[in-house]
Amino acid sequence: MKLILLLLLCITLTYTNTNAQSRAKLDDKIQHLTDFTAKTSIIPLNVNRFKEYVKSPPRDYSFIVMFTAMAPSRRCAICQHVFDEYLLVANSFRYSQSYTNKLFFGMVDFDDGSDIFQMLRLNTAPVIMHFPAKGKPKPADSMDFERAGIHAEAIAKWINDRTDVQIKVFRPPNYSGAVAFTLLAVLVASFFYMRRNNLEFLYNKQMWAVAALFFCFAMVSGQMWNQIRGPPFYHRTKNGPVYINSGSHGQFVLESYIVAALNAAVVVGMILMIEASGGVKGTEVKTAQEGKKRRFQSAVGLLLVCVFFSLLLSVFRSKTQGYPYSFLFK
Amino acid sequence: MPATIAAKPVNGPDQGIFHNTAGFSTLITVTVLTLAWLAGFASRLFAVIRFESIIHEFDPWFNYRSTAYMVEHGFYNFLNWFDERAWYPLGRIVGGTVYPGLMLTSGTIHWFLHALNIPIHIRDICVFLAPVFSGLTAIATYLLTSELWSRGAGLFAACFIAIVPGYSSRSVAGSYDNEGIAIFALQFTYYLWLKSVKSGSVFWSVCTALSYFYMVSAWGGYVFIINLIPLHVFVLLIMGRFSQRLFVSYTVFYIIGLVFSMQIPFVGFQPIRTSEHMAASGVFALLMAVGALKYLHSLNPKGEWKQLLILGTIVAAGAVFLAVVALTYMGIIAPWSGRFYSLWDTGYAKIHIPIIASVSEHQPTTWSSFFFDLHVLVCTFPVGLWYCIKNINDERVFVALYALSAVYFAGVMVRLMLTLTPVVCVLAGIAFSIILELVLKEEDTTQAPIETEEVKNDKSGKAKKRVQETVQAQDQGPGLYARPGTVIAFMILLMLFSVHCTWATSNAYSSPSIVLASYGNDGSRRILDDFREAYGWLSQNTAEDARIMSWWDYGYQIAGMGNRTTLVDNNTWNNSHIALVGKAMASNETAAYEIMSMLDVDYVLVIFGGAIGYSGDDINKFIWMVRIAEGEHPKDIHEADYFTERGEYRIDAEGSKTMLNCLMYKLSYYRYDSGGSPPGYDRTRNALPGNRGFKLTYLEESYTTEHWLVRIYRVKKRDEFNRPRVPLAKRTIPTSNSISKKTSKRRKGLLKNKPTVVKGKKMRLE
Repeated sequence: MKLILLLLLCITLTYTNTNAQSRAKLDDKIQHLTDFTAKTSIIPLNVNRFKEYVKSPPRDYSFIVMFTAMAPSRRCAICQHVFDEYLLVANSFRYSQSYTNKLFFGMVDFDDGSDIFQMLRLNTAPVIMHFPAKGKPKPADSMDFERAGIHAEAIAKWINDRTDVQIKVFRPPNYSGAVAFTLLAVLVASFFYMRRNNLEFLYNKQMWAVAALFFCFAMVSGQMWNQIRGPPFYHRTKNGPVYINSGSHGQFVLESYIVAALNAAVVVGMILMIEASGGVKGTEVKTAQEGKKRRFQSAVGLLLVCVFFSLLLSVFRSKTQGYPYSFLFK
Repeated sequence: MPATIAAKPVNGPDQGIFHNTAGFSTLITVTVLTLAWLAGFASRLFAVIRFESIIHEFDPWFNYRSTAYMVEHGFYNFLNWFDERAWYPLGRIVGGTVYPGLMLTSGTIHWFLHALNIPIHIRDICVFLAPVFSGLTAIATYLLTSELWSRGAGLFAACFIAIVPGYSSRSVAGSYDNEGIAIFALQFTYYLWLKSVKSGSVFWSVCTALSYFYMVSAWGGYVFIINLIPLHVFVLLIMGRFSQRLFVSYTVFYIIGLVFSMQIPFVGFQPIRTSEHMAASGVFALLMAVGALKYLHSLNPKGEWKQLLILGTIVAAGAVFLAVVALTYMGIIAPWSGRFYSLWDTGYAKIHIPIIASVSEHQPTTWSSFFFDLHVLVCTFPVGLWYCIKNINDERVFVALYALSAVYFAGVMVRLMLTLTPVVCVLAGIAFSIILELVLKEEDTTQAPIETEEVKNDKSGKAKKRVQETVQAQDQGPGLYARPGTVIAFMILLMLFSVHCTWATSNAYSSPSIVLASYGNDGSRRILDDFREAYGWLSQNTAEDARIMSWWDYGYQIAGMGNRTTLVDNNTWNNSHIALVGKAMASNETAAYEIMSMLDVDYVLVIFGGAIGYSGDDINKFIWMVRIAEGEHPKDIHEADYFTERGEYRIDAEGSKTMLNCLMYKLSYYRYDSGGSPPGYDRTRNALPGNRGFKLTYLEESYTTEHWLVRIYRVKKRDEFNRPRVPLAKRTIPTSNSISKKTSKRRKGLLKNKPTVVKGKKMRLE
């Protein structure tokens, strides 16, 4: 009986001993990491540090690590963007009230730690991974840029998902828009001031009409859709480039330009025809030569209207399934 | 459209007889407008002829239900109606949260017809209201265009708007929605506004305000009017076109319109408390300031007053602007609401209000939908705009602003194509009228006119334009063949337009969407009436107060046709409630049961299109349910869990585990064995479901419609599940066993089954 008791005591002692040891080690590590974080919000990691702080056991903190290749020779354009956004998150976390020493941000550059890349079998960059306090990283622990995007808000949301630490991204306000606007306003104002004795051009109806028509063409050809959805300029396939999206719910940027041009051609044709027959005011023909010119203008206008409207119709027909009507062209 | 085309030849031969008198042009106007009305009405009847006289889609069902309630209980009861059948357990104050104009309109028609002893059912009035109003819209458009350009242009515009798909999309028979009457109110208000700006009379301004009042009562889109008219005034001020007429018409309209609009319970104090309406009051203050300065100027029309006038105007404008901004910051004026804000900042809704972004009609517009809805008008209306700007006057400033703002909004949101369509018709009408007038005017001198063209010449009805005709020699106009060529080409364009309109209305916009039709290989038609079958089952077989959980799209239909209580419906006012339903659908069965019993759900209704290849079913909408649920419950629902590791949305064996076990998935695929070979194949997503043959613990299937389209499940009560099932034979308690064990030795007395007394227990007899 005594023996057993002794053994038990022994076990407990060694256990608490190792426990205390690892506790001390953990405290030590956290102390180091906190010191690092005090210097820079993202801790640069090399192989040794990575193994010590991220991989080896006594840990009660989560580690977010970005794997990247920042050296210019690597030619990773997106890495810089992701790094900027990542830095934003890390800084927001460091200076926020929710700062804890349960979460650290690190970074591994390919040129400093290619071994780590091999160890984790990474062959792309950039990657942001989460190393949870307990257990191994799961698939969801590496962030999916394709779906979430690379914005700092998306990164913060993903971190919130994985670690339950809420980071409110504080983006330094972007003054570039305001500056550009002010600059433009100043330019316009100074332009007016320079020409203050000659503001006749403001009463130029032609200019206003052209501007209004351009706006209409832009909107009617779906530039707003392009702006919001960001489609490709055109589609490259094996059989050569495709300019017209075959579905009626999509379009390419080039396609919308083509459509705008077709619309504009029809409009120009109609205006030519109207002007050829005297316009709204009904100007009269004075010489025979002018009469000839007008006849020609009128014919050109009619041709423009018919041809380009038929083209528009056939482009539309190719996009809309089962559309039965066409004009001049199939 | 055939009718309107036929109209022209009919009137042609009369020309020679009547010699172009004023009476004759009135006759033509009336005839063309009547025929436009008839053509517009007829082209909207496809759904009624193909199916039956039935209310369409989702929102119309609510409108119909409220109208029926109003007709039955009276207007005041309707205003006080608290609907406990919706948004269980919250309920909805219907009277205070609808635009009552639609219900009032059809209620009035119903009352009037019944006063004449015409016993028509309110449903038929509701079904045919929008097509009838399309004719009124055509007349309003005619009036508006006549104010702007000429009566000929007006007739063209009226014919265009009568059949254009961009407008008939919202006004086919059965589509009983606010937009159906609101476009009429919109056009008519604009017409009256132009009239009052032109004349400067208080009478027309008051008429404008009255028409505006009707618009406010009919549709939330009245905000467009109350921003466009001030914009018009503002631009006129900038252009230096201030006049006493403008001052009178705007101030009268603004004040009376403001007071009227606040009478609608749903609008209430919004016109003085929200940013959307601030442009109107800002312009009102500015106009007052300008009027005062002008008056001072008129006292001393010499000297430096002009400089002072401009300076004073700018200062006043700045002061008004700063005042509005300051009031917004102080919280007295509410900032732009999300729905309006998303029109300017197009990325806003996607990030912050998924429920707005999820609706398909809130997406931006591709060029092909512009072309689909407007056809030839889309490439001719800029011509009208061009000539309006080139020959600008007070009214044409208005139409230019109308066109530019509407074209922007239509680009941002498919739904707002509806506000663009009228102005496109107006401008295209002007363009066609100009060109045909010119071409045909010269024709007069050359030879006997072709009938069809002559009408247009007459429509334009401008005698003074003819003065120059004699001057022009025959060969000086566009060549001898060019003129007929032009006429023929434009006739072909117009014919293409009319067949396109008929085709588009018939194929794209005439589906009631509660009755589906499928076509076999031999062209035979099969009607799929699953929705009504399911709602009918609900109304016949469930308890009167049963609560049905479904996604919000079907809320109005369940209430309207099934007459049962719903949790969420198409009036998406409570995002967290919707998110809760979404969470239940997205959770596994156990977690969903907790939510469902919390919400007192009796039945769950899901739409499943896999068997017939119907793409608008719940599994396809499911990702929005997840997104909306995630917005409110980010801890429990993660969108990424429903995608495969490669980011695909799949339902087959490769789908994610969460997806294959969520409630929506199980309810859709439970016991599903139809859909062709192999059995259980999903024809909508072209995949074999990854999780099949499972059992449901907390729900049981109550009803599935003929084509599996609607599936209804009953939520079990707490005592109905997780209890081992004992066959009937084994349910008796074996009593003889205890006796048989006893040997005869142990038996002491002869008393069998002697009752033993235990304190505190009831005596049990065996």
